[in-house]
Amino acid sequence: MSRILRLLLISTQREFLQWLAGRAFLITLVINQTVGPLIGLAVWSVVLPGSSRISTYYVALLAVQLMTVSYENHTFSNAIYDGSFSQALLKPQPVVLGPLGTNIAMRLWHLLFGLPLILLLSVVTGTSWDGRLIVLALPAVLFAAILRFLFTYLLALSAFWTEQAHGIVGLSETLIFLLGGTAAPIALLPAGLRDLGAALPFRALLGFPGEILSASLDETRILIGYGWQIVWIVVFWLLVMGVWWAGLRRYSAIGG
Amino acid sequence: MKLLRLFGASFSLSLRRDVAFRANLVFQLGLIALNILSSFVVLSAVYTQTQTLSGWSLGEAVVLLGTFQIVSGIFATWIEPNLSWFSVQVREGKLDSMLVQPVPSLFLISLSKCEPLALSQVVMGLLVVGLGERDPGTFPAWWAVLAWLLLISAGLIIAWALRILIASASLWASSIELDILYSSLWQFGRYPVEVYRQPLRFVLTYVLPFAFLATFPTRALTDHGSSLLLPLLGIGTSGVAIIIARFVWTAGLRRYTSATS
Repeated sequence: MSRILRLLLISTQREFLQWLAGRAFLITLVINQTVGPLIGLAVWSVVLPGSSRISTYYVALLAVQLMTVSYENHTFSNAIYDGSFSQALLKPQPVVLGPLGTNIAMRLWHLLFGLPLILLLSVVTGTSWDGRLIVLALPAVLFAAILRFLFTYLLALSAFWTEQAHGIVGLSETLIFLLGGTAAPIALLPAGLRDLGAALPFRALLGFPGEILSASLDETRILIGYGWQIVWIVVFWLLVMGVWWAGLRRYSAIGG
Repeated sequence: MKLLRLFGASFSLSLRRDVAFRANLVFQLGLIALNILSSFVVLSAVYTQTQTLSGWSLGEAVVLLGTFQIVSGIFATWIEPNLSWFSVQVREGKLDSMLVQPVPSLFLISLSKCEPLALSQVVMGLLVVGLGERDPGTFPAWWAVLAWLLLISAGLIIAWALRILIASASLWASSIELDILYSSLWQFGRYPVEVYRQPLRFVLTYVLPFAFLATFPTRALTDHGSSLLLPLLGIGTSGVAIIIARFVWTAGLRRYTSATS
């Protein structure tokens, strides 16, 4: 176990330093991730003027978005498409360590570059943070980060079967935008969609920590939310394992 | 005339290529439909809480959504396939082969390829505009429709010119990658600019005029073309945008010395 952790740490360090060279491009990626929450903040601040809950929610959502960002359709699917996945298979370590290391490094960079904007928005919107709620939100952010990785990685595995992995991940991002709490806080969605949003995993991987930080949930609902996050993590973990082995059996190097 | 023939030939070839991949067409249609549906859901959530959004009624916001889809569809069909990741084309030397063709380079780099499948977004956008204008007795006058079309054209020219400026930047420094930044800023066009606070509203109106993508055309249509100011502003701004784009591109080419030098 400690060997795996050491390898993951090395992979993360290497990717972190590698992305330092591409920091100008990284900044454009960070800006891209901030647009959804910023538009949501702008629209809902006009609809519900003076609501501190809305501004806190969207500033928190922005932070969660940056801390849970996942690009496995680029880092993993592209490796299948260009054949470099074969090299990763030959290494004496689990293949997932590569994309996972990149994922963690990218999230660190996103948070680092996004932090000034988060602070600026907090000041501009007059957001006040409650220490108790931050503590309660920390496990939710951690679970959301794990869930988002598993979710995107699962969809990226579709590259074993189709060349549409980018489109599939794009489709899922639209669903996350709609039912994850970016387009509107789940509580403000029309009744039918609100139930759908509560039943599907999208809220658990994005909007739930923001709801905790904006004091929209009591303690019972927070505990239920943690429970759902853990259930979804187990479900996606099992799905990833199953799809990975099925995909690997199908894979026969580029062109196969 | 020659350029028009080239433009037509490119469209015809691309259409034949795209039709061969029907699964892609179905997938793309699904993606666009989901995108529009999600925008409708947001609007329905917004308008259950309020009567107007910064002075825009639900019908007007639906027309704006449709207009945004039309502009995005046209841009994705004819401009984006040429200019996306342009700096990579410069680094790999593809620009060199374009420069030796007997056709103006600005046409070749920005309008020679197309993705006809993206036109499905235009069709859906038109349906959405029709839905927003469905109230009987409120059908816009012909001059309002003309002002709307004129401002859509102005918006596309401005968007094209901004894309040319980004492409030209890679002639000075080929490591500059602003594609993702551009598509991020594009998303601000899907809501009226009045929704955004200053200084963002100022930037979207005067610096990077994405307000021309959907806000201004929709205003011309829903105001029933009562003001001449917006169409005139559109003609003026798009004229200036073309001049700047041509000037910067030519200046960039003058200092460009091929990918290997």
